Amino acid sequence: MAELESAVMSTPEGHEPTPATSATAPAVDEAEAAVVEAVEASDEGEPDLRALFEEQALPFMDQLYAAAMRMTRNPADASDLVQETFVKAFAAFRQFQQGTNLKAWLYRIQTNTFINTYRKKQRDPYQGTIDELEDWQMGGAESATRASGSTRSAEAEAIDHLPDSAVKDALQKVPEDFRMAVYFADVEGFSYQEIADIMKTPVGTVMSRLHRGRRLLRGLLADYARDRGIAVPAGTTTKGSDK
Amino acid sequence: MTDCGCDKAKAELEEFLHDELCREDAADIREHMRTCADCSGEHHVGVVLTEAVQRACKETAPEDLRSTVLARLRDLQASH
Repeated sequence: MAELESAVMSTPEGHEPTPATSATAPAVDEAEAAVVEAVEASDEGEPDLRALFEEQALPFMDQLYAAAMRMTRNPADASDLVQETFVKAFAAFRQFQQGTNLKAWLYRIQTNTFINTYRKKQRDPYQGTIDELEDWQMGGAESATRASGSTRSAEAEAIDHLPDSAVKDALQKVPEDFRMAVYFADVEGFSYQEIADIMKTPVGTVMSRLHRGRRLLRGLLADYARDRGIAVPAGTTTKGSDK
Repeated sequence: MTDCGCDKAKAELEEFLHDELCREDAADIREHMRTCADCSGEHHVGVVLTEAVQRACKETAPEDLRSTVLARLRDLQASH
């Protein structure tokens, strides 16, 4: 946990490297030695830092691309975003503390890059205020959990059989911050604290985004299923504001 | 609502699903779900939803993205 914190605390973009703390674990020292070696070698004109980066960071390309697709919603922007992410990460790679969570570090860079460049192009008018929306403003999807036992198993059955395209479409309708919280938790399996570090937001906000994102998604999927004649009892989706 | 621990369980189901609860709290939820069809059904929907999202979000980066990135890294290093 402490390792992770220092990884994501270190600035991802072109700042002075922070000196390694003396209190690092032996495993980290070893890993640190690997990068020092690589840096020294690359100073002599050998491509070892790049080799280390390629070996460690490039395997995350598919995952970063999948996240970029959820962020930008189209393949061309997703490719550009991933490319920028790797370029920035490589430029800052000497600051990355070996032995800490590289995937979370890369995601943090990608999230920053997305916010700073791509989000401007496609700014959603709701962004920035969405966290403050009250439940009733979120619409019927919020009432998804009001179902009873038997409707729940029907709902689970329906969700289980929906095509991936339907799930993707529904995800794209979920506001970005909620969508990415769901992505980081459910697809990447990041902890709430890790997501908080990636999204630069308090853990409580992560929990609320996650909760609302999942609730919205669930309502959208139930709507989708019902629209296509898949039996999802009425209580599962849009009706029912029994306070 | 029945007074069988449902309120507590419902409030914590999402954290349970994401493995964010401490061992004791997680054990309480598990114990509660053993006898509560309502909460175990709710949990099941949560699990299925997570799996559906995981399936839908699988992507493979385009092949030319890999070569573009490799080329840019080479250029970056050459320019230093």
